[in-house]
Amino acid sequence: MKKTAIIYSYRSVKTRQQVQKIIHQFGDDPIEQLDADSVTGDAIMPYTNLILAVPTWFDGELPNYWDELLPDLEERNFKGKKVAIFGGGNQRDYPENFVDGIGIMAQFMEQRGAKLVGFTSTEGYSFESSRAVRGNEFMGLAIDVENQSALTDSRIEKWVLSLKIAFDSKK
Amino acid sequence: MKSDVPVRYSIKKTDKETLLKWYHLITLGRTLDDRAPNYLKQAVGWSYHAPAAGHDGIQLAIGQVFRRNKDHLFPYYRDLQTCVSAGMTAEEIILNGISKDADVAGGGRHMSNHFAKPAWNIHNVSSCTGNHTLHAAGVGRALKTYGENDAVVISSQGESSVSEGYVYEAINGASREQLPVVFVFQDNGYGISVPKQDQTANRKVARNFESLKNLRVIYCNGKDVFDSINAMTEAVTWAMENQKPVIVQANCVRIHSHSNSDRHELYRDDNELSYVKEYDPVEKYKRLLLRYQRATESELTEIDERVKEEVKEAHRKAMAAPAPSPDSIFDYVLPPAYVSNKYPDGVHHQEGDKVKFIQALNEALKAEFRHNPDTYLWGQDVANKDKGGIFNVSKGMQQEFGKTRVFNGPIAEDYILGTANGMSRYNRNMRIVVEGAEFADYFWPAMEQFVETTHEYWRTKGQYSPNITVRLASGGYIGGGLYHSQNIEGALMTFPGVRIVYPSFADDGAGLIRTAMRSEGMTVFMEPKALYNAPKAATVVPDDFEVPFGKARIRRSGTDLTIITYGNTTHMCLEVAEQLQQEGKASVEVIDLRSLVPLDKEAIRTSLSKTSRALVVHEDKVFGGFGGEVAAMIGDEMFELLDAPVRRVGSTFTPVGFNRILEAAILPGNDRIYQAAVQLIHY
Repeated sequence: MKKTAIIYSYRSVKTRQQVQKIIHQFGDDPIEQLDADSVTGDAIMPYTNLILAVPTWFDGELPNYWDELLPDLEERNFKGKKVAIFGGGNQRDYPENFVDGIGIMAQFMEQRGAKLVGFTSTEGYSFESSRAVRGNEFMGLAIDVENQSALTDSRIEKWVLSLKIAFDSKK
Repeated sequence: MKSDVPVRYSIKKTDKETLLKWYHLITLGRTLDDRAPNYLKQAVGWSYHAPAAGHDGIQLAIGQVFRRNKDHLFPYYRDLQTCVSAGMTAEEIILNGISKDADVAGGGRHMSNHFAKPAWNIHNVSSCTGNHTLHAAGVGRALKTYGENDAVVISSQGESSVSEGYVYEAINGASREQLPVVFVFQDNGYGISVPKQDQTANRKVARNFESLKNLRVIYCNGKDVFDSINAMTEAVTWAMENQKPVIVQANCVRIHSHSNSDRHELYRDDNELSYVKEYDPVEKYKRLLLRYQRATESELTEIDERVKEEVKEAHRKAMAAPAPSPDSIFDYVLPPAYVSNKYPDGVHHQEGDKVKFIQALNEALKAEFRHNPDTYLWGQDVANKDKGGIFNVSKGMQQEFGKTRVFNGPIAEDYILGTANGMSRYNRNMRIVVEGAEFADYFWPAMEQFVETTHEYWRTKGQYSPNITVRLASGGYIGGGLYHSQNIEGALMTFPGVRIVYPSFADDGAGLIRTAMRSEGMTVFMEPKALYNAPKAATVVPDDFEVPFGKARIRRSGTDLTIITYGNTTHMCLEVAEQLQQEGKASVEVIDLRSLVPLDKEAIRTSLSKTSRALVVHEDKVFGGFGGEVAAMIGDEMFELLDAPVRRVGSTFTPVGFNRILEAAILPGNDRIYQAAVQLIHY
């Protein structure tokens, strides 16, 4: 597998737990960890595959650490990179903006040439609207530990399997 | 969340001078906001403080796009940062906080933390939160009317106050009239302790308005300076270019309690209290400046130090400033009235053809519209082809003065009056006439704006006078029942800050409406609708007739009994007086008050000096009616003139029934007046 990094906030709690599960699922494949609170664009660009941990805050916002990193990334070219995004949301309390953060980040990366991978079905979720949805899929993996925590492990497992294929694919 | 608008400002592209200016402003605002509670702890003042912390991004943005003396800004009680960003000084903020006489909002008359500077068009708004949306729509109408399409109105409020019905009226009106108004909803998720899911179904209340025509909705991150300024810049630009309204919903956090009378730890958990601090907009802005090397630590520290000195100096000056004088409480209750030189007593002796009450009103209104080009009239049903009002008082006015000056309002009484309050702010020469409701007793939905409007002149220490005449077709004897035949002046007269007149004859109607339309301030003009076409109310009306406020008219002289009355009952009292005269029982003097507020006490005193007996008669209820105030005043101030107790005649303490039998049993008539008069004469 080509050089792969997973970027998340080291200060996070739920997201960090999900990251550890993802890394575990990748097994022996090396995944480097970068702290979204302090990472720079220069540090990110050497990686071919990027896994971005983007939980959704408030009524559909990026967390500060991503929001404040984006100006560093906005003029960079992500062509040739594969980007997978996952993030937490709450479909019961925030049904109008469920995992919007995934959609915001997906749009940002795609506009800068990245190839998005790791789309997942929206089946099994119940929400009203989401910027993360394209067709019948999320543009990444939606995790809802508040309402569907029992499904998290299997969702991650299935998602990582798909990422392994996507990251290895020459497409 | 980022707004979907052009990016004009960003951390990397905005010039350094601007970035540092913003840092200065946002730090100044935050420092003042943080220090405000100290004044209460030291018992100096600022007893109401609603912290702006967490709203700093959108508030900085509002202040930055506002242009003083060009645009109009309606901040709400949490808009400290907004006002600092708009240019108000630290001293002005503190003077308002501790309610000193030099407070530019209104000399300490209004609640603290209600920042304003009317001299710059930063309007002094109500604590009745969100009701300034109606005023914003009104000023927007003025901008449109006068072709000022390079200016905009900005109205700001919390998301929870959008639940108020008048906010929907305002935005619906701005949509329908296509007004250049930007409505900003600062969404911190709470209305005091009430979470926003208890206010409306959509988490973003602006979504409730997305289907309105002509309206653009922009969502932004109110915690982010750049997203907020981009959103506000786009909003005001679009509103001016398209001459249409915009809603900006800005997601904020409330870092502290709602106000210093609230304890948010009672309903917010530690996790929430922690993460809202983490999303502090000021800290975010500072992080961005440093991260992207747009400022150095030392540059920011230098600004921090400068702000400390600025606030310290402002504090020193504000503490030394004088408090308002208790002697000043009667200043600015009512703005100046028009002074009649031709008819100082409001009496004429012209002879000729009589005209009916309705015709006198119609002709006087038209004459005033010809006299002053800045006059406007609107209300329900007032202008559609040959129809001019439910009773046709404004008939022909739209044809003569056009649809810009005479037009229908929606069935929304609060909007009708609230936009009058707003539009009147544009130009001191403007005089607005509204039919407050089709019938006076439909006026209740407008009571919120009525109360508000009575406060304006006093609250701003004379800086703003709402120059409005509220016409209300009032009273019964038409078989109208509830909402069609009741009187409301007894309720309205309890509010200082409004004049109330209630003529009984055509000439007084014409003279009083002329005076109302030439005076500053709000006048409620009660029209006894049963007299519109009554021959007994018809009189000769000089073309230039004027009746000053507070001048009663002796309609009949007498020596044995004084009857004090107004409106419909004036004619009954005159008939009873004539009957008593014919019967040789008494010589009765009838005083037609014409003005209830102000009241002509001297006319009453002069009459009682002759008669020593007072009977107060009106159509409204005896209990709680205006007559109670007149009787009490006579008892307090003229007791030595009396030979008998003051008697009152009016309606029973019941609603007014529709059936004519019920109406006759409820409303006063000649018999009831006659009996009371006879009893009083024989006392």
